[in-house]
Amino acid sequence: MRCLQKLLVILVASGITIAMIDASFALVTRWVVDDVMAKGSDLNIFQYALAYGALVVGLAVGVWIFILQAGTLSNSMSHDIRRDCFRRLQELEFAYFDHRPVGWLISRLTSDCDKLARIIAWGVLDLVWAIFLISAIAIILVVLHPTLGLMVLGVVPMLVVISAWFQKRILLSARETRKYNSMITASITEGLNGLRTTKSLVREEDNLGEFKQLSNNMYDQSVLNATQSAIYIPIVLTLGSVAAGVALWQGGILVLDDRLTLGDTGGILSFTPGSFFNPINQMAQVMVQLQSAQAAGERVLNLLATQPAIFDTEDVRERMRHSYPAELAVDGREKRIETLEFRNVQFEYIAGQPVLHDFNLTVKRGDMIALVGASGGGKSTIVNLAARFYEPTTGSILVNGRDYRERSLQWYQSNLGIVLQTPHLFGGTVRDNIRYGRLDATDAEVEDAARAVNAHEFISAMEHGYESNVGENGNRLSTGQKQLISFARACSPIRPFLS
Amino acid sequence: MSPLSLLWSLMTGFRLRYAFAITALLVSSAITYLVPLIGSATIDYALSGLSAESGLPAWIMHTMGGAEWVADNLWLPASLMVILTVLAGMFHFLKGRAAAQASDGIARRLKNDLYDHLQHLPAKYHDNTDTGDLIQRSTSDVETIRLALSNQIVEVFHAALLMVTVLPIMVALDVRMTLVAFALIGPIILYGFFYFRKVKFLFRQVDEAEGEVTHRVQENLTGLRVVRAFARQDFEIQRFADPNQRYRDHSIRLIRLMAVYWSVSDFVVLLQQGLVLFTGIWFIAQGSMTVGTLFAFMMFLNILLWPVRMMGRVLTDFGKSLVALQRVGTILQESRENPTQPLLIPQQPARGALSVRNLSFNHAGGIAALNGISFDVEPGKTLAIVGPSGAGKSTLMHLLLRLYDYDSGSIQLDAMELNELDRKWVRSQFSVVMQEPFLYSKTIGENIRFGAVGRQEVDLTSVARQAHIHDTILGFSQGYDTLVGERGVTLSGGQRQRVALARALLRNSPVLILDDALSAVDAETENIILKALKERRGQRTTLVIAHRLSTLAHADLILVMDHGKIVQSGTHDSLITEQGLYQKLWQMQISGEEI
Repeated sequence: MRCLQKLLVILVASGITIAMIDASFALVTRWVVDDVMAKGSDLNIFQYALAYGALVVGLAVGVWIFILQAGTLSNSMSHDIRRDCFRRLQELEFAYFDHRPVGWLISRLTSDCDKLARIIAWGVLDLVWAIFLISAIAIILVVLHPTLGLMVLGVVPMLVVISAWFQKRILLSARETRKYNSMITASITEGLNGLRTTKSLVREEDNLGEFKQLSNNMYDQSVLNATQSAIYIPIVLTLGSVAAGVALWQGGILVLDDRLTLGDTGGILSFTPGSFFNPINQMAQVMVQLQSAQAAGERVLNLLATQPAIFDTEDVRERMRHSYPAELAVDGREKRIETLEFRNVQFEYIAGQPVLHDFNLTVKRGDMIALVGASGGGKSTIVNLAARFYEPTTGSILVNGRDYRERSLQWYQSNLGIVLQTPHLFGGTVRDNIRYGRLDATDAEVEDAARAVNAHEFISAMEHGYESNVGENGNRLSTGQKQLISFARACSPIRPFLS
Repeated sequence: MSPLSLLWSLMTGFRLRYAFAITALLVSSAITYLVPLIGSATIDYALSGLSAESGLPAWIMHTMGGAEWVADNLWLPASLMVILTVLAGMFHFLKGRAAAQASDGIARRLKNDLYDHLQHLPAKYHDNTDTGDLIQRSTSDVETIRLALSNQIVEVFHAALLMVTVLPIMVALDVRMTLVAFALIGPIILYGFFYFRKVKFLFRQVDEAEGEVTHRVQENLTGLRVVRAFARQDFEIQRFADPNQRYRDHSIRLIRLMAVYWSVSDFVVLLQQGLVLFTGIWFIAQGSMTVGTLFAFMMFLNILLWPVRMMGRVLTDFGKSLVALQRVGTILQESRENPTQPLLIPQQPARGALSVRNLSFNHAGGIAALNGISFDVEPGKTLAIVGPSGAGKSTLMHLLLRLYDYDSGSIQLDAMELNELDRKWVRSQFSVVMQEPFLYSKTIGENIRFGAVGRQEVDLTSVARQAHIHDTILGFSQGYDTLVGERGVTLSGGQRQRVALARALLRNSPVLILDDALSAVDAETENIILKALKERRGQRTTLVIAHRLSTLAHADLILVMDHGKIVQSGTHDSLITEQGLYQKLWQMQISGEEI
């Protein structure tokens, strides 16, 4: 946090410097013009050129520091936030993921983190720069000629109001466009994943009809967005020209009366159309982005603030701080699971709808237990509880006679071998997937595990054998092959409990 | 087709709108230049009392009513400046809308075309193509093209038009100053162009690193159960750290170069402005130029410099768009599944007689092939196929659906050769339930209704009952209107299979194919379903692929497949008495059940 503050100070300072230099250019212009009018060919042009050159160098250096610092800060921050979010996701219990789609979580870790970091680094600094530049110009204008300056400044409040109004709408339609864009992406993804089904149902035309609706909606929003910008920019330019017109008209009258120099009028004129537009536009954009970044920030911070419901208790963590002889587990208790007991376990996924009632079961090392029952009877729930993916609502589950909540979660789960109904493989080679069960398994051990489940033959028959790529989520393999590999994965360590 | 000619053909129907946009831009720009001229003419002639010479500013002054009159009525140039800006704004608006309509219209059509084309490409194409890559081409590549059409092309025209129109005005004002004003324009464009070409690979690296981050998160989350089951959280955190750091480091490296670029670019631009200012001051000191002309030049320079600065970037982005066009173009050039020659579309639905002779098929990799398969199924009969993984069972089903074309041999449906029939007609003669059925992310009701041909009202509940899923569906809070997938309920494997079965039953095609379709359903439920299916026997031909042999007992004919060949055939009763694979499998399963 300290280093962040230091960076912010550098950034704000360089933002202010750039704003000041930006404003000074007009002053140099004014002085040199007034001087040349007064002195004609006697003018010493070089001292002005030198001052101008110094400003140019100053600005270039300022811009360089500004971008460098803001960019470094923004990227380092989003890296750290992303790292912390990912860590938190590894700790959160299963129930957290039950109602949060994968795509939703991915956006939290990618676009939301980036947005948050970007707005903190760039947005705040753009704001500082814009505010200082506008104030500097305002001061110069008023110093040059109070009445005229204030007249020209009269358009600023209007500019601010209109910019905010438009930027809000432009952002809204941009968001809608992106929303439809991601729906289109989802639709294409679904179309490709369900291609065979679509073909076998001969649904191509219906699918296209639905897709066209989405692309029409996106067209409407995207054109609306462009139209809004096409109205906004001319309005701002018109306001700028009103200010320029006022400066020319009133300033001209003053010049004719010899109450103002030509250089001053030129100076005021040169501030009016362009100089205001950029910082005000920038400010309006940042203000609107801040609102959306606020939402992104809240979502990310919420994720970081969510405490895992299944975690090692303080007592367990205290025990794990000590080191124990090799025959004991990391938490200093027995290393082997001898018994697993469900004692009066009740469990509900949704409060008030229990799935298990007063369930009792004792399993000893070496036992083979088969759970049979109709779908929805709670078989998977028992596995989920045994694996400590969920914990009992009431009652307890005992490992070697001790509530498993008093043991290390990491130790407990790494002593289980679980083959799930829908086999999930990670992208990568067959070997990597089997080795996932025990990271330090040798190649020979990996192959032994494959032999044990009768998968060695088909793996060897594949083009690259164990080095064959299984494809994303293993989709280059048939379901049966995926099942065999996931069996091999569960077998590669010596695991006392298989379910 | 080269990317540029592809671009030209994509613009069909929108070219006029583009021409309109560019004309509006031209008018809007022309008016915009008049504004500073009015200001400078007023300063020169009305305020500093110079006498009007010939040239554009003098003409403007004359049109406004002469210097003296303007000096007394300064509101006139002032309001002219405002009115002209409003006018320019109107044309700016027309240009903006027309350009958006054209580019978004083209993007919309391109997306629709791609979607439709992808649906009609053969299964073989999709087997050999990465889905993620296709998705990227149909979304972000199209977006790149849209940006090129709406921004880059217009920007290039805008900058070119600015130069072409401003140049004569500037030359008319002062030739020497024009040369000075354009002194650094060339270097600025070249600098931008070469710079962005150089950092292009860095942009790609950042994109790739970001993609990797997303990929890791996605893999981790979809494999959540596996990660937890093996307690691999720390390993995953380690694995994530790498791409995350790479993403940060690449981004910072890029930003370092960007910082250099923008500061150098600011430096050169300000240098150009300074050059004009001080040369102008020098000329004024010499008495060879007026202050008004200097102000006019400085304003022109302000108008010119921004698009000029953007030009380098625009040109490199345009290079990116050409690559995107090429990538999209290769998809569109792939030929569709249905060949052009007219295929037979019978008027009547098939009776469901299948005759397969000497059928052989090789996958691209040479794996899981079929090797000389022959069998017959009469209409209304049930055929069962068993065999180990990779025996070719599913391949056979894919060939029946014409998802692939067979290499040699023949498949006849009602004595018509499958290769000579229209694919869509063939597919509508089959109802398929796959082992891992695909459900659309719509409601359960809609998913079942997709089985029905046409739009007529159908009774979903009776097929749902036959598939033994009706009660489960009613158990959801929204019943048949419950959404499937991430936004709704996550169905278990068995539930998905039963929904897909209901869909297939509703379709009521002459042939029903169950490809290990009840593998995730418990045995009791499976029996109930099979009983319901048995009542339909005699009406529809049924093909069953299964591993649980007890479920095949009622089949009229059982084929035992291994390594792409039929090794045994017969009824259940005859096969268990015969020595061979079937008997071995049967004994294994019986003993398995006894444990």
